[in-house]
Amino acid sequence: MRKSLLVAALLLIAGSLGLAQVKIGINLELSGRFAAIGNQTLNGIKVANLQTPEVLGQKVELVICDNETTREGSIACAQRFVNEGVIGVLGAISSSMSIPAAEVLQDAGIIMISTSSTNPQTTQIGDFIFRMAYTDDFQGKLAAAYVVGDLGAKKVAVFRQIDDDYSYGLAGFFDQTAKKLGAKTLIQDFVANTVDFTAQLNNIRSFKPDAIYYSGFCAEGAPFMKQLREQGFAQQVVGADASDDPQCPEGAGAAFDGYIFTGFATPNLIADPAAKKRAEAFKQKYFEVIKNAKPGDFNGFVLAGADSYNVLVAAIKAAGTTDVKAVRDALGNMEHYPGVSGDITYKGTDGTPKDRTIGFYKYEVKSASDWKKIELFGKSTAEVQ
Amino acid sequence: MTASKLASRSTLFTLLAGLLLVVLIGWRIAMLGDYTFARIVQDFLNALTLGSLYALIALGYTMVYGIIRLINFAHGEIFMLGSYFAFYAMTLTPMHWGLALLITVLLGGTVLLVLRSLFNLEEPKRTAALALLIFAGTFFLLAFRNMGWIEALLLSMLATGVAGVLLEAVAYRPLRGAPRESMLITAIAASFFLQNMGQLLFGPRVQGFNAETILNRPLNFTIGEETVYYTGILIVVPTVTAVLLFVLNLFVSRTKLGKAMRATAQDAEVAQMMGVNVNQVIALTFFIGSILAAAAGVMYAIRFGQIHPLMGLIPGIKAFTAAVIGGIGSLPGAVLGGLLLGFIEIYVVSLFPTLSAYKDVFAFVLLILILLFRPSGLVGEDLTEKV
Repeated sequence: MRKSLLVAALLLIAGSLGLAQVKIGINLELSGRFAAIGNQTLNGIKVANLQTPEVLGQKVELVICDNETTREGSIACAQRFVNEGVIGVLGAISSSMSIPAAEVLQDAGIIMISTSSTNPQTTQIGDFIFRMAYTDDFQGKLAAAYVVGDLGAKKVAVFRQIDDDYSYGLAGFFDQTAKKLGAKTLIQDFVANTVDFTAQLNNIRSFKPDAIYYSGFCAEGAPFMKQLREQGFAQQVVGADASDDPQCPEGAGAAFDGYIFTGFATPNLIADPAAKKRAEAFKQKYFEVIKNAKPGDFNGFVLAGADSYNVLVAAIKAAGTTDVKAVRDALGNMEHYPGVSGDITYKGTDGTPKDRTIGFYKYEVKSASDWKKIELFGKSTAEVQ
Repeated sequence: MTASKLASRSTLFTLLAGLLLVVLIGWRIAMLGDYTFARIVQDFLNALTLGSLYALIALGYTMVYGIIRLINFAHGEIFMLGSYFAFYAMTLTPMHWGLALLITVLLGGTVLLVLRSLFNLEEPKRTAALALLIFAGTFFLLAFRNMGWIEALLLSMLATGVAGVLLEAVAYRPLRGAPRESMLITAIAASFFLQNMGQLLFGPRVQGFNAETILNRPLNFTIGEETVYYTGILIVVPTVTAVLLFVLNLFVSRTKLGKAMRATAQDAEVAQMMGVNVNQVIALTFFIGSILAAAAGVMYAIRFGQIHPLMGLIPGIKAFTAAVIGGIGSLPGAVLGGLLLGFIEIYVVSLFPTLSAYKDVFAFVLLILILLFRPSGLVGEDLTEKV
């Protein structure tokens, strides 16, 4: 009897030691339209978790929730995390899924770091909401300067997904800057899951654009590019970070050849040599850990996922406690954290890191299975302002 | 109301809709000088293709409804299965002979069993010949050469037809005689099940369906100074839809099985008493409906170049709308509804570019109007006579 009691007591102590865990929620688009980039982000988080599995002597437990690329799914994930009492939530990827989740988590007082939402609104929801990416006013401005300045386009047709916060906002910023730089624009709208773009394409025929800007995602982008080329448009198409998704070249094949887009910078495009070194080391680790990863699977989304995990763990370490308020304050005061995606400073911002680098890329596509992404150049936020 | 009165009313309705369209296009041309004849032709061809695709899916929807009054929400997922079967047939062949043999035995066996139950194959000689044809044909297709789109289309139609029959046997047959709501809810469940099964089996990612077929070859021509862009599929889809409508109509009105179908649609119980094997007729309906869905799925994949497990959702809803607009249960109605939907989607975007995000709203407003003023659809007849 006494023996069994002793065993039970020992088990309890061992259990309490072993079970002391820090829970981090992950709200990502693992199925549905953004499945490919969702899983890339998750892989980034997993590798970062492998590199830093513990904080304050406790094991970090990742609680993964698939929002199925729906707003309702994202809200459900956020509510689940509120009930489970996680310290912070990583994700979602897109602005349309991040904004509704952010509203729930801000009310509950839980930290959220969106890995790649770029709509300025996201972090303005409250002081518990952070992001890892730049914002779309910056991205739109850069893209417009490139299309109008470098490519010399006088007339630009803009395609935006009107029911998506990211696409709609980004197209607006692009349009503003392009007009300011003296170009004429013609906006065409579509909605999620559109596959037939022939009517919109027929609409821009007499406008005779010199270039085309596409601010949507790959689920619609693949049929869009296929029909664009079929319908006789040979103009340069420029897209944004949502095109940094293997579903684009894999979905439409050779139609994506020559497509240029802006996106979260990969190691080669990071100017800061120390940050570049860290990113390269992380890239190696990524291909060691994630078996069967294709070269095209490593992109900015992976780095953003990894760093969202890294900064949250660093903030818990800096706070020295798992009290959410204290961790939030540590995160909000973070300065010059050496991340794999560059230097990260949240102090004095609305939750958007101060210095971010945008990369310009080009797809070289022979077929759906034979394609690569060429890195053109990088531009940092600090450089532009 | 008599049939002739109804018919004249529906003709009037169609005429009015057509007139409205003509007036709108005229207005647009007057408003903007740049809506040239070439662009009108371009829009027309695009609309015809899109509408025919919707019509093709709607045909399957309407057949099933016509027989057992079931809105088969899983029809969109059957459509998705059709495109995936064709995708794998084209990308995985030629395969290792052992694997090909295994698939041949499994697929061929199921197909044979289903076909036997559907068509009362009792004569041993004919059955043996059919079995030989199916097994040898499947094995040959799988093992020896990379399948082209036509073979893939035919194989996928056969496999999807069988999948449709299996779905009916598993999900709907046990509920025969249950309240219609139970069937409806089961259909929604079957739709979710197939979507999620697709994500598990095929992976959640978008797959490129880059068939280098004659259907994708540009066949552009010029009108005046301008070029009209179109590809082979812009001819094939409307043609296939028209031919299938004709053949199905003949089948339903002229053959013995078609007669059994009409009898089952009118009153399943009485039909059974008269010696019609109702279960067999319903299974056959699902077989034909699923074959149509597979054909539509492959055409859709070739046209838009990509497939994914949730691809059936939106076309499924559109086709359902088309079937209701045309008069659910009526074959020509489904085609008319599909075409109307296709034309609305294209012309709303070209005539009102600023409202292009709301093209679906226009389609659904039309649906509501039709349900309000003509509950049985544009060419839907008296409710007792369907198919």
